[in-house]
Amino acid sequence: MIELNAVTKRYGTLAAVDNVSFSIGAGEYFALLGPNGAGKTTIVRMLLDFTLPSSGSLSLNGFPSTNAASRAAVGYLAENHHIPPNLSGWQYLERCAELLDISPSGVPDQCRRIVGLIGMEGREHTKAETYSKGMIQRFGLGAALIGNPKLLILDEPTSGLDPIGIREIRLILESLKSQGMTIFLNSHLLSEVEKICDNAAIINQGKLLVKDTISSLVKDGDTLEDVFVRFVKG
Amino acid sequence: MSIICALFIFLVRGCYHGDYIVNGQEFDAGQMVIMLSKITFHVIAVGVTFLAALLSMRIFGRERDDGTQSSILSKPITRRQYVAGKVLGLWVLLTIFMFVLHGIVFIITSINMRIVMPEYLMASLLCSFNLLFVVVTVLLLSLVMPDVAAFLCIMGIGFVGFVADGIFALSHNPIMAQAIMQQEGPQSDFTFWQVVYYLWPKLSGAQHYASSFIGREEFGELGSVYPLINIIVYCLILGALLFLRFRKEDIV
Repeated sequence: MIELNAVTKRYGTLAAVDNVSFSIGAGEYFALLGPNGAGKTTIVRMLLDFTLPSSGSLSLNGFPSTNAASRAAVGYLAENHHIPPNLSGWQYLERCAELLDISPSGVPDQCRRIVGLIGMEGREHTKAETYSKGMIQRFGLGAALIGNPKLLILDEPTSGLDPIGIREIRLILESLKSQGMTIFLNSHLLSEVEKICDNAAIINQGKLLVKDTISSLVKDGDTLEDVFVRFVKG
Repeated sequence: MSIICALFIFLVRGCYHGDYIVNGQEFDAGQMVIMLSKITFHVIAVGVTFLAALLSMRIFGRERDDGTQSSILSKPITRRQYVAGKVLGLWVLLTIFMFVLHGIVFIITSINMRIVMPEYLMASLLCSFNLLFVVVTVLLLSLVMPDVAAFLCIMGIGFVGFVADGIFALSHNPIMAQAIMQQEGPQSDFTFWQVVYYLWPKLSGAQHYASSFIGREEFGELGSVYPLINIIVYCLILGALLFLRFRKEDIV
């Protein structure tokens, strides 16, 4: 589903991502972990063709990431998601649906399903300027889920959320597991990752340190946080 | 800017009612209408061109800042489609706006003076190439410099072209030409500044060409078509550069 082959991204002399290779199969719940500035977001941006790698190649759904067709079944939620304040959540979802190959008659049904999934019934017609950060993230997640994507790329989806907001996002992601969706999650919140994901990779200073299943990484008595600190601190 | 344009039309509508007397002689109403229509044509065209620059300069910046750009480009939409959508959307919107304003003048003239000038609407459509040039140029410049600088650049291009056209027209006036010849003696046929003049984006020239259609007789004299070709060629070149530059742009 996702494949990175010897990917390097340089900004001048700084290697933000340094010769990283890994792959993620269909149906995996995968977390990319790392401290700030480790290169996580750069990898996401290269996957979505927001920036080109200096060397190496990336593919999504069997297509090179530079091909727009690779994003045909991909949903994306950015770290600091924005909704134009003059739009309601419903209008925002409608606009996102219009960008995909969804027939105009199918758009309301699609939006209704998404509003139910993200638990925003009753608030979908109020303007986004009245929404809390958590509500905006939920609508952002909803927008990423429009068109039933096979792969969901989430860049710090719980960034800036309170514990209740974090829990709500986690519950939505857990509910998607039964649908066979693949999730690529960039996160700092190790406790949440431990609860949701099956596999994880740790990256630091652009270099991939480890990639394995969570159960293999976390040994008896340890937490993912302990493992993370051990790898990052060396 | 759109309010100013609309207000101008509202104020100028009264001019189409009067019988003008100059030096005790009644002025030919037909000539007056043509002259007045040309003035309104130019004011509206300049106003909408200014509006085009204002709207274009923030298009990429605003969408980058509010995350719309990354949201759109994370869908299976190519960058070429995204840029084409921005350019064509803005161009069509501005062309319609200018056409409506010109259309109001056309209707006022038709009703009040019983003079129908379909060429006025054609001139409006021809002038829309100027809008395309402004949209494409400002979008391209806004990728490589601050938005305000891009706006000022296009204003500078327009102003320099306008002044150069004025100097060119003046130097080709028979009296002026004779005076220059007497002062400086014979000159070479093609100077560096003439090359620059012909290659400079001819916004005001294209507008003048479009307005030369207004009120002309069937085989009357048209302005030179070169400025319009100049603008269309610039649109093609700068459009290609815009697509190439945006392909390399990092999406935030």
